[in-house]
Amino acid sequence: MPKLLNLKRILIIGSGPIQIGQACEFDYSGTQACKALMSEGYEVILVNSNPATIMTDPEIATRTYIEPLKFDYLKKIIELEKPDALIPTLGGQTALNLALELDKKGVLKENNVQMLGATPTIIEAAEDREKFRSILDELSAKYPKSEMVKNFEQGLKAADILGYPLILRPNYTLGGGGGGIAYTPEEYKTMLVQALHESPTSEVLVEESILGWKEFELEVMRDQAGTFVVVCSIENFDPCGVHTGDSITVAPQQTLTDEQYQAMRDEACKIINKVGIQTGGANIQFAVHPTTGERVVIEMNPRVSRSSALASKATGFPIAKIAALLAVGYNLDELKNDITKVTPTCYEPALDYVVVKIPRFAFEKFQGSKDLLTTQMKSVGEVMSMGRTFQESLMKALAALEMSSEAIPDIHFSLEKISYPNSQRIWHIFQAFRHGLSIDQIHDLTKIHHWFLEQIHSLVAFEAQIKKNDLTDQNLRQAKKYGFTDARIAKLKNKTPLAIANLRNEWKIKPSYLQVDTCAAEFLSSTPYFYSTYWSASDFQPPTKKIVAVIGSGPNRIGQGIEFDYSCVRGVKALQKLGYQVAMINSNPETVSTDYDTSDFLFFEPLTEESIVEIFEQIKPVGFIAQLGGQTPISLAAGLVKKGYNLLGSSLDSLDQAEDRNQFSKICRKLNLRIPQSAMAGSIEDALKNEQLVGYPMICRPSYVIGGRRMEVIENQAELHSYFERHYDFISAQNPCMMDQFLSGALECDVDLVRGPGWIVMGGIVEHIEAAGVHSGDSMGVVPPQRLKFDTLQKIEKMSQELAEKMNILGHLNLQLAIKDDEIFVLEANPRSSRSVPFLAKATSIPLVDLGIAAQMSIQLSPEQVASYRWADLKQICVKGVVFPFKKFAESDSILGPEMKSTGETMGRATTYSEALVKAFVSSSLNLPAHGEVFLSLRDKDKTPLLPLFKNLQNMGYKFSATRGTADYLGQNGVECLALNKVHEGRPNCVDRIRSGQVNFVINTTSGRQSLEASFDIRRACTDYSIPCLTESDAAEAFVMALEKSKTGRIEVSHIT
Amino acid sequence: MKKGFLVLESGDVFEGITLSEQSHFPEKAGEVVFNTSHSGYEEIATDPSYFSQIIVMTAPMQGNYGVDAKVWESEKMWIQGFVCVQMQNTKRENTWSQLLIENKVPILTEVDTRRLVITLRSQGTPWGAIVAAENAETAKQKAVGLIAEQKKLDNDWVHLCSRSKIEDRKGLKPNGPRVAVLDFGAKENILRELVLRTSAIRIFPARTDVKVIEDWKPDSIMLTNGPGDPAAVKIAPDTIRQLLGRIPVFGICMGHQVLSLALGAKTYKMKFGHRGANHPIRDELLNKIYMSSQNHGYAVQAETLPVDVLVTQRNLNDQTVAGFYSKKLNCLGIQYHPESRPGPHEATQLFDFFINEMHPATTKGNKSYEL
Repeated sequence: MPKLLNLKRILIIGSGPIQIGQACEFDYSGTQACKALMSEGYEVILVNSNPATIMTDPEIATRTYIEPLKFDYLKKIIELEKPDALIPTLGGQTALNLALELDKKGVLKENNVQMLGATPTIIEAAEDREKFRSILDELSAKYPKSEMVKNFEQGLKAADILGYPLILRPNYTLGGGGGGIAYTPEEYKTMLVQALHESPTSEVLVEESILGWKEFELEVMRDQAGTFVVVCSIENFDPCGVHTGDSITVAPQQTLTDEQYQAMRDEACKIINKVGIQTGGANIQFAVHPTTGERVVIEMNPRVSRSSALASKATGFPIAKIAALLAVGYNLDELKNDITKVTPTCYEPALDYVVVKIPRFAFEKFQGSKDLLTTQMKSVGEVMSMGRTFQESLMKALAALEMSSEAIPDIHFSLEKISYPNSQRIWHIFQAFRHGLSIDQIHDLTKIHHWFLEQIHSLVAFEAQIKKNDLTDQNLRQAKKYGFTDARIAKLKNKTPLAIANLRNEWKIKPSYLQVDTCAAEFLSSTPYFYSTYWSASDFQPPTKKIVAVIGSGPNRIGQGIEFDYSCVRGVKALQKLGYQVAMINSNPETVSTDYDTSDFLFFEPLTEESIVEIFEQIKPVGFIAQLGGQTPISLAAGLVKKGYNLLGSSLDSLDQAEDRNQFSKICRKLNLRIPQSAMAGSIEDALKNEQLVGYPMICRPSYVIGGRRMEVIENQAELHSYFERHYDFISAQNPCMMDQFLSGALECDVDLVRGPGWIVMGGIVEHIEAAGVHSGDSMGVVPPQRLKFDTLQKIEKMSQELAEKMNILGHLNLQLAIKDDEIFVLEANPRSSRSVPFLAKATSIPLVDLGIAAQMSIQLSPEQVASYRWADLKQICVKGVVFPFKKFAESDSILGPEMKSTGETMGRATTYSEALVKAFVSSSLNLPAHGEVFLSLRDKDKTPLLPLFKNLQNMGYKFSATRGTADYLGQNGVECLALNKVHEGRPNCVDRIRSGQVNFVINTTSGRQSLEASFDIRRACTDYSIPCLTESDAAEAFVMALEKSKTGRIEVSHIT
Repeated sequence: MKKGFLVLESGDVFEGITLSEQSHFPEKAGEVVFNTSHSGYEEIATDPSYFSQIIVMTAPMQGNYGVDAKVWESEKMWIQGFVCVQMQNTKRENTWSQLLIENKVPILTEVDTRRLVITLRSQGTPWGAIVAAENAETAKQKAVGLIAEQKKLDNDWVHLCSRSKIEDRKGLKPNGPRVAVLDFGAKENILRELVLRTSAIRIFPARTDVKVIEDWKPDSIMLTNGPGDPAAVKIAPDTIRQLLGRIPVFGICMGHQVLSLALGAKTYKMKFGHRGANHPIRDELLNKIYMSSQNHGYAVQAETLPVDVLVTQRNLNDQTVAGFYSKKLNCLGIQYHPESRPGPHEATQLFDFFINEMHPATTKGNKSYEL
């Protein structure tokens, strides 16, 4: 069937802010789909609230709306744009749920919008667990015994029937949100309440445990003619019980017989047909009993997903693109395989390599939450690697995590860390084998399939050989085939990584670059998508044109995510426009940068010095770009320059000036710029000597402790004494305590600029909404600034430019500033593209990354061109909203501080500040309650300043409750307030009131460690019940401003230009 | 770890290692072919169509899930060698490598199979030999003789792989048809699929006289898969010609090719054939497109088929003939493997088509059997 000609305009819904379980893989799929539809001549209307995405770049769609992914806004956009169709399957669970809502409330029908790819009936058949199970029954497909539970009492009955352990799966949530494994009735009861709350339909499937079974996933596609293909089979290293997003996975599947695999394939085909999916991609998860081979269906997703992004990268089959084309009427046999260019798209990729994915976690950011993996996803990113064998691939993936250059370093071994699934388990398994534990012992503890353990065991056995014997051509070659990094071999042989690299060069032990060709070399293919291996001769043909290498940002982590992929992809395109061929190097399968048609050469490789040097030896780049991928490429730059490669843009010296605290201080002093005072103290005596210099309040933290732990704001000398007493064990002359002046109450802002040869373009100034002390990634922000004075802004521009000149920046510079009493303090300088770059680029329409490339390539711009970029000339006010993962980390505290904890951001665009705030809050899923009760728990110094705010809220009709002290104060000042017990004052107390749903939002400001601990339960209750909890007075003011605005009920939308 | 080599006739040499467990290394020669299936090594090695062939698996890791006698496609292993990147040789009760060793199949691992496949793809299907040697030169010398010796085989490979005696099997459908099977080197699963749908099958050696077949009064005849060049097959084309138009004829793979010869068409040697589990087929009989299990080195020339025989299946990768059907002559030829093993199952319905659509109502057996 040719494409549908009656369609002209198609609406695509993105997935919104990056959150755990729904990350930049949907930017990849959405971008791919938009591009495919645009090239077919359709008008594409795109809605996404996430400004850090490539998909929201203006040229990706016909018109792009950066608006909240909420019913009212979508309704408005549909009424405005009148699309003919909506594709709901490309924006994750968010888009799917939203499309369902639009359908249920009649918006689609009223506006004659057709749903393509999946209809509401199909979405429900797959997503509604009860309906899905009845379909499985009809097909005689098995599934774990389970009970659908709609309330607590039913839940208790279900547990009696099924027995422990139990798995809870709430309906219609993403990433297994709200679910988990309960081993005891106590755990179960707590989790049940939570799970019922999490499901938008208050339904939870309580399921018998299939812990220890092997888990598989099939990525499948189907067209309207019924042609069915399995794009990729994926096997989980971790047995059932760990969310597939948190499991190490391997593709293709490795341990099923053909008979077992084909039976699974048949069942997948039957299920997708029965569910009624007409066209598109889906994934189906299965569990297989390790010995009997019995198979059960776990679940299916009728849409593209994280694993379909992985499958696309693993095989070269562009699932999202094909899904979009199928949705508009094509059949699989009518589309050509992009990679071979001769064979049709109805095929199943044949892999002559093995793919391993390893998730990356961020438990260290969330104090109090246990590093324990369950059916609820917790990882924040992932790496993928390819090798000819599982071992090579696994070792490359471990290196790609960027946690240790050795990839499998020796660690302090703990058997306990093997006995339950956690983020460190893989390294403990390596270590256990080093200590002589047997495969059977590890299998008994983990239920990980023998085959996987054998692979690791033989790696460790080989490691012992290397350690014992002299390095020879033969065993070094073998080590590289096994995937050992130079750094690990060096460690084993007590040499330097460089010495190992030299040996390899001498013995000509070099990696080859093989093509990902979808067909195991059966057909000729010319797609420049490569991975390295030591098992084969190279497929790689050296490029003819000048080539520039762009180093990506690796696995997403908190603090380095999609915004850097945005910069990389824009950078690649800008370089191509300048006539260069571009080689992209990255290890993150979720990204647009690792789409094979983004760059001229894609190397899917770990971002380590070793692997990049090897690539550079092959491609001989005229230079490399390190400013776009965040901190990862910046850290690699020095090593690459040392090897003789040309760093484009700012020199190493410039980078050092920004990175090295001392050098940076010197420069600031020369320019008469203020920086917060700081000092180091190895003892309380030292500290008292520096007390005057730094001044109170100050922030103290032990220097070697990462992750902001033991970091406290110290208000006076008594507290300083107390701090050193309490943290005595962590402070010494070798590990001094860092003391930094704390600019309490200061306004912070982000500045981004680009400096080229003889020109500077200001990208803009993002004013933070929260006061100093909250990490810039975690604070909300607004452009243009609302509180900074005009002449302060001018001063900021001037000093930023001076700083860029002085540091000799060529390319991007990001500054973090604090403004207190009209004085500007420089907190930090980042000589690279930053988190705020895509936000500013979307807000101001200034092509910051393109300019950055021009600067790095030393291109001259005319003064007229430079003058045409005026960041402050904004028609729309843009507010950055922030999304946090606290809900996923039980026992973690939602209080904000100097360490970044957010996973994603949103943008609210509107003609007024308050409207933009409304959108930013709503997009970040902070509900704006129209009425109800506000619970207050305030530090003393906030009470008076916030009084007008409370009066305002009272006038708007909100009621108040507070603990006794605050309630009395409010009462005395004319604000009626219900007094509640504190947690230790007996029940019912304030937390009970929050948990029982009587509170609509909370303002909770704290100071000092004790009050933090005392109010933890309040914040946690808010997190658990999705109640907005403002922990900072400026944020509270912004929130109230948004509440006031939202009461007007006005919904305005506009597309970006 | 001793060195081993795969030497191609062209002189190309691919180095690998032999397993220490295979110390008495059986050096063998054969045609060198590659298969892109991810799984199914045991089925492949026991498929008689791989007679006199050295099989190169493109999936790098082999032997991952052990072995299972139930999946054997015949009573022995037919391959002349097994080549891959990494053999899973870990100690389990019964390993794949152990089984190959017991069956005297030379194993060559740690081979750059990707280079090898690209060579096979560009050279066509060369002859080659697997030998253990100290270096490439010695290997080449050894290989020449082995290849020459292996090439002396009678070129009617079907005859070499066919049963020598008639074999009867009871079908599971008491009212179903009696199907004669002409054994060209049959895969067990063709027989299993027939048993499910018939009252009886009788398997005849490839060169059985047509009278002997007719004496059994079959309702139809199945021509099985088998190895080698269809043009070299003796007697069977005549046998088929005499049955054509009288009883339904269903040929798979070699059976399909020999059927085409009986119809007066011509076959040709493909450059490197199709071997894998992921080839798309457009099937106009079942009216769908699906993935198929493939293993053939020859194909039928479409334009040489009689006018009343329609090409009803095409391989969508290269548009080669994947099947033909004649309503008038009541014959069906399928180039790929509807019996799968290994590979996807979608084409199994062709067995139903054979039983339901090609047999007269009286012999169809279960009339409610639906497509």
